Amino acid sequence: MDVSEFRTGLRAWLEDNDLTPGPDGSLAGQVEQLGRVRRALFDAGWMRYGWPEHVGGLGGPAVLRAVLGEEIASRELAPPNFYALIEVLVPTMIDYARPELAAEMVPRLLNGDEQWCQGFSEPGSGSDLASLSTRAEQRGDTWVVNGQKVWTSLAQFAQRCVLLARTGPGHGGITAFFLDMDTPGITVRPILAMHGEEEFCEVFFDDVVIPADRLLGKVGDGWAVAGSVLPFERSTSFWHRINHLYARFDHLLAEAVDPDEGALGATYLGLHTARCRSHGTQRRLADGLPLGPETSVDKVLLGTSEQHLYDTVRELLPGAVELTDSQWRPEYLYSRAATIYGGSSEIQRNIIARRLLGLGKE
Amino acid sequence: MDAAERDLLGQSLRKIMTSTAAGPALDGELTDLGWPELLAELPEVAVPLVFGLLGETGTVASVLNDVILAAAGQDIGGTTTLPYAGGSWLVWDRDVEPPAEAGAESSGPTGAFAVLDPALPLRRVEAGEPLVESALAAGRRALGWWLVGSGRAMLALAREHALARAQFGRPIASFQAVRHKLAETLVALEGAEATLLLASDDFSSLLAKAAAGQAALTAAKHCQQVLAGIGYTTEHALHHHIERVLVLDGLLGSSKQLTKQIGATLRRDQVAPRYAHL
Repeated sequence: MDVSEFRTGLRAWLEDNDLTPGPDGSLAGQVEQLGRVRRALFDAGWMRYGWPEHVGGLGGPAVLRAVLGEEIASRELAPPNFYALIEVLVPTMIDYARPELAAEMVPRLLNGDEQWCQGFSEPGSGSDLASLSTRAEQRGDTWVVNGQKVWTSLAQFAQRCVLLARTGPGHGGITAFFLDMDTPGITVRPILAMHGEEEFCEVFFDDVVIPADRLLGKVGDGWAVAGSVLPFERSTSFWHRINHLYARFDHLLAEAVDPDEGALGATYLGLHTARCRSHGTQRRLADGLPLGPETSVDKVLLGTSEQHLYDTVRELLPGAVELTDSQWRPEYLYSRAATIYGGSSEIQRNIIARRLLGLGKE
Repeated sequence: MDAAERDLLGQSLRKIMTSTAAGPALDGELTDLGWPELLAELPEVAVPLVFGLLGETGTVASVLNDVILAAAGQDIGGTTTLPYAGGSWLVWDRDVEPPAEAGAESSGPTGAFAVLDPALPLRRVEAGEPLVESALAAGRRALGWWLVGSGRAMLALAREHALARAQFGRPIASFQAVRHKLAETLVALEGAEATLLLASDDFSSLLAKAAAGQAALTAAKHCQQVLAGIGYTTEHALHHHIERVLVLDGLLGSSKQLTKQIGATLRRDQVAPRYAHL
């Protein structure tokens, strides 16, 4: 199936199948809506394109997933940050899980039955992720995990977790696991974030036992697993988010009280620039080229343009963020994190300076 | 034209641009290399290459005239009046030798005025003929590539300086404040280039010119700061590029002016156009 055939069919299907979110805008309501959207799209086949057959997909190029995300985000059917979590979880399973495990588990995420989370960051390991200290020790046929994760999105709703833990010193001493969140010894504590939702959590591990067949890759592959997330986070996920921002910009155009054409033009130009850059990245991915440090440019452009959009929202809709409880408020606040999560803009600039500009060490 | 042929053409162009005097001599060399045929048959390859390299090498040719005339369906080789930010009209003269020395005044044939960048043979005229939209768009795309090329030239100079210049016992490239300015410059230039690669119709060409002008001004600001004292002298090449992008940004509409125009169009249409389709 090619892109235009996919898009045409999908649009016709979305015309006939109303997936508009209900009135429950709470976090639980959003997660439920996400499950509803995934299930409907899975049952109709749309959710399965772009994923290989051996994990329950229908095959076809990965770009079909970006097209699906674009159509979902453009219609504001599911929160883009939650919707796109699949892109940082499933490719890892395909590349590193035992084939039987991937075949068993991935369909449950795609079809909306389950939520999964990603246990990477720790209180002491944010930008310096490789310094993580949650430990996994081998005991017979099992691994026993102790430690703490933080910024784990939707952990309170998740049935599974892709976890990084330390099994030795240095970058080569990190190992990835796929564990069940109902394993004894796991405690989840949601954190109330500034935008009013408990999206991020702390997760505590107290003698949590993981069977050895839940290793992702081999012992010591964890850093490579973490890196494998990058290509799809920086292509397919970004494409979802950009299309979401375009949808919100259209709302701003409709609602803007202050007709500041310079501000509207500059905001749109930022989105257009991020979109064009991301388009080029998708094309390179589709051509089978590796994605590496140059995607840090995409990350900076996206984070900057998102904040620019919501700065303009606040300026051109005076009071909308501060005096009303419209959708603009949580979105404005959430946009403050756009230059922090997924590798801060400063880290991206460090990567650009070192790897793209060849400026040597700091 | 495949990638290897394009690379070869790029090498030939670069060689000509770095070994020929700016102005009429370079115009002649470009004609000999086949610029008229390339512009007629492969503008999507020729324009990015030629104009990007004008920027990167810091030289000057009068080929903007050709791009605009060709897009307007007219014979190339002549001149046309060009709108400048703020309502001025200019002519990009051909057959004007650039000043031999840095800092010398431009000496256009009739009523020359003091262009900030004396190497550009621009002459102010009383009035002009508005360009047809497609010609304006083609000119904006060409200038966009020139601006990004100039930005890359400034970034290369600043990078070189940051690695060579030592203070407090280490290269200034090791200081994060310096590194981040250069990183921001690359982000701006790469973003602008992405918009140029996808510029097709009139509006997307306007967007690309605005993005390129803004990126070149960002490059000028950051690279000037990194080059600091030496970059403020006329003994260093930076000032040529800064003066050039200040002038080219205003030609066929400045980034500031175009950005307002973008906003006005969006407000009128009430929808943000989606370019760059998968």
